[in-house]
Amino acid sequence: MMRARQALLNPLIDENPVTLHILGICSAVAISNSLYSALVMSVALTSVLVFSNVVISMIRRHLPSSVRIIVQMTIIASGVIVVDELLRAFAPEIAQTLSVFVGLIITNCIVLGRAEAFATQHGVALSFLDAIGNGLGFSLILISVAIIRELLGTGSLLDVGIFKPVSEGGWFEPNAFFMLPPSAFFIIGGIIWAVRSWKKEQVESPEFEPISVAELESD
Amino acid sequence: MNNDSPLKAIMVVTVTALVCSVLVTVAAVTLRPIQRAYEDLERIRFIVRVSGLSESVETMSDLEVIGAFQDLEIRLVDLDRGAFDSSNNPDTFDAREAATEPQFRVAIPAELDVASLGTRSSLETVYLLRDGETLQRVILPIHGQGMWSTIYGFLALESDLNTIAALTISEQGETPGIGDVILNPEWQARWQGRRLYDEQRSLRFRISREVVAANTEDASYHVDGLAGATVTLNGVMNLMRYWFGPHGYSRFLQNLSETEGS
Repeated sequence: MMRARQALLNPLIDENPVTLHILGICSAVAISNSLYSALVMSVALTSVLVFSNVVISMIRRHLPSSVRIIVQMTIIASGVIVVDELLRAFAPEIAQTLSVFVGLIITNCIVLGRAEAFATQHGVALSFLDAIGNGLGFSLILISVAIIRELLGTGSLLDVGIFKPVSEGGWFEPNAFFMLPPSAFFIIGGIIWAVRSWKKEQVESPEFEPISVAELESD
Repeated sequence: MNNDSPLKAIMVVTVTALVCSVLVTVAAVTLRPIQRAYEDLERIRFIVRVSGLSESVETMSDLEVIGAFQDLEIRLVDLDRGAFDSSNNPDTFDAREAATEPQFRVAIPAELDVASLGTRSSLETVYLLRDGETLQRVILPIHGQGMWSTIYGFLALESDLNTIAALTISEQGETPGIGDVILNPEWQARWQGRRLYDEQRSLRFRISREVVAANTEDASYHVDGLAGATVTLNGVMNLMRYWFGPHGYSRFLQNLSETEGS
């Protein structure tokens, strides 16, 4: 029970794939300028993650280590193609907005990372919870970034006006910078900083000791 | 069986490949009709946009677009004869698919293939807008090679079958931010009122970055090029040369203007 709780809840903040492992940044930067795309992307990634984790966990005892990665990639890629086809059939407009980023879920390190690090070593039920947890962890960051970007970039959320922009006689001046991908880097960076200030154990030990100025001068 | 034996590896890979391919195939085949319906709707939206039936297609609901589309007459044109074809059903005919079927495929002679198409269908679907009996607009599908992709679009002609009423680009994969300026509505609007053929019925229409004085005769055949998109625009110019040249709609337009033109 304890392990199930951990598998599900740890990836939300303590082991968040985006803020702790810095995975999945590519899509988090690219699709987070609108809340709607972020929601659809979250659902898409979580479904692929659940599918791949469950299937890979099911066959984990029959997975020869020599062809392990390629079998995992085949399963992930198939899941992504099915999700892509579903989106193009039932949500074609959003599929166009997300364009290549649905296909790029295949290369999203969270999916292969969880398959390799978790599903190959744990049972189906735990792997399922781990997938849900990591999917939610990714979604949490993606959706937070999208809310900040869409709100400050356009003044509205999901096409519902929150701040009235100056162009419509309000007070809010939309900041176009938030619609551009680099803004997501700053926001994700800010979130990582905030999380690590709160949870000090996430701060990595420095890889090397910075050389002090005094030391340089003594040479 | 030992997990690390080569035989086991081959078995696992084969089974995974088979199961995954079945999964992907089933998804693709079962969802295709639904995706197709959406693509058809998108195409209809583009056709309605150049038909002049509505000012703002973007704000119209799917049903309104379909309703407007019903006002158009759909016909098949045999490009070689330059005449309407009545032996095939225009509602179901797909020229893009037909271009690969032996029954309809026509190889384009190299010297005429300015738009780098290779082959085309012998029949094309055209759309006629009539007011009572009088022809108002003809909407012709066009396509050709751009810089990276095949550019697809529709060109609407006024009832003189020479003046451009509207252009729309329905599909393209040109460089985002550079070649895809061909989607720019302001640029597309500049095509309106331009003419294709001169008095001798040779194609005089040009896209170029030359400065052409406004209100001159030259200007009425000329659309401004766009800086940075030279290769894409050469592609658009080439597809215009092909589709309004002798191997394209030229004969059909001449025949149609003799029977119906004003």
